[in-house]
Amino acid sequence: MSTLTTFLVFTAAAIGTYLIRISGIVIFGRERYIPPRVEKALHLVGPAAMAAIVANSLLLDEGAWRGFGAWHLAALVAVGVALWRRSSGVTMAAGAVAFAALLLSGL
Amino acid sequence: MTPPSPARRTVLGIAPQQRSDAWAGLKAIAPLMPGSVLFGMAFGALIRVAGIDPWVGSYASVSVVAGASQIAIVEAVRSNAPAVIAVLTALVINARFALYSAALAPVFASFPRRWKLGLAHLMTDQAAVISLEHADRYPDPVRRRWFIVGGALPFVIVWVMGSVAGIVLGPVIPDAWQIGFIVPLMFLAVLVPGLHDAPGVVAVAVSTLVVVLAKDLPWGLNVLAGALAGIAVGSFVPSRSRDDASGTAASDGRVPDDGLAHDAGAGE
Repeated sequence: MSTLTTFLVFTAAAIGTYLIRISGIVIFGRERYIPPRVEKALHLVGPAAMAAIVANSLLLDEGAWRGFGAWHLAALVAVGVALWRRSSGVTMAAGAVAFAALLLSGL
Repeated sequence: MTPPSPARRTVLGIAPQQRSDAWAGLKAIAPLMPGSVLFGMAFGALIRVAGIDPWVGSYASVSVVAGASQIAIVEAVRSNAPAVIAVLTALVINARFALYSAALAPVFASFPRRWKLGLAHLMTDQAAVISLEHADRYPDPVRRRWFIVGGALPFVIVWVMGSVAGIVLGPVIPDAWQIGFIVPLMFLAVLVPGLHDAPGVVAVAVSTLVVVLAKDLPWGLNVLAGALAGIAVGSFVPSRSRDDASGTAASDGRVPDDGLAHDAGAGE
């Protein structure tokens, strides 16, 4: 792909992504009343989307099952620490240290 | 936090209250910033490996602002896929932002139009989730939008800086480090600390299950399918009162007087 084509591909993706990002804000922005059911569903967007990303990047690798190892164990450490301390920073640090230790130990 | 005083100075037209709210936003998202930098560096290194023009690579991080889709485009470019397929794949990966956008609509509803249009571009996964989690603490729309921009803008800036560093330095991070682990780790760090109620737990479980069961869907559609299934099933689960775990101040509409201290832990 030429530099110009690559530039145009990124530009098209950027415009499309911006339209996606603004879509809900524009469509639902004027409604004063949001039905409780819809509001409840909107509250679940964050957890559901993040769980999907975690599952896709942790349990799968390019669409196939990821072999059990350091990824899973370090993620378990991170989840445990997250439930215990309820802090993003501590979770990141604990998961990174656990992952490094597991890699160094040859897993 | 003291109430705003008109006697205090403004800097660049930004009053002390706004600065302090923006700072609270920055502190809420700060734990995730190292992940953003490393992910940016991984993207930048890939730009170098794929032989894509450095300026085009940097432009991608500023204009698209969505790492996973940018990596998908680079992979498509490397494999000589048609341009249309490259763009469509990226947009499918980014379809989840429509969900965030709908969820953010009530949060942004009282903002001026230019703020809505500007903030929308900055809504990464992390910024969207931090905004949704903290919005109730900022019923005042002015304070709320400064809190959001204070987290979202610096997060995008470090993402771009990481990308440029990766493009300049190339693949300096050894493959053996398996830097890709930063992606699930970063999202676990946002997701798990904020998970309190039954509908949320069910949404996470269903989403996870559907993603792995639908792993053979093309173009990474399993991620979108998982998210939608999690939202749908979770919304049928009855929730108890929401104000048990995170304190009552957040839910009865008052801004807590120690907002900065609250946000320091982040992710709650």
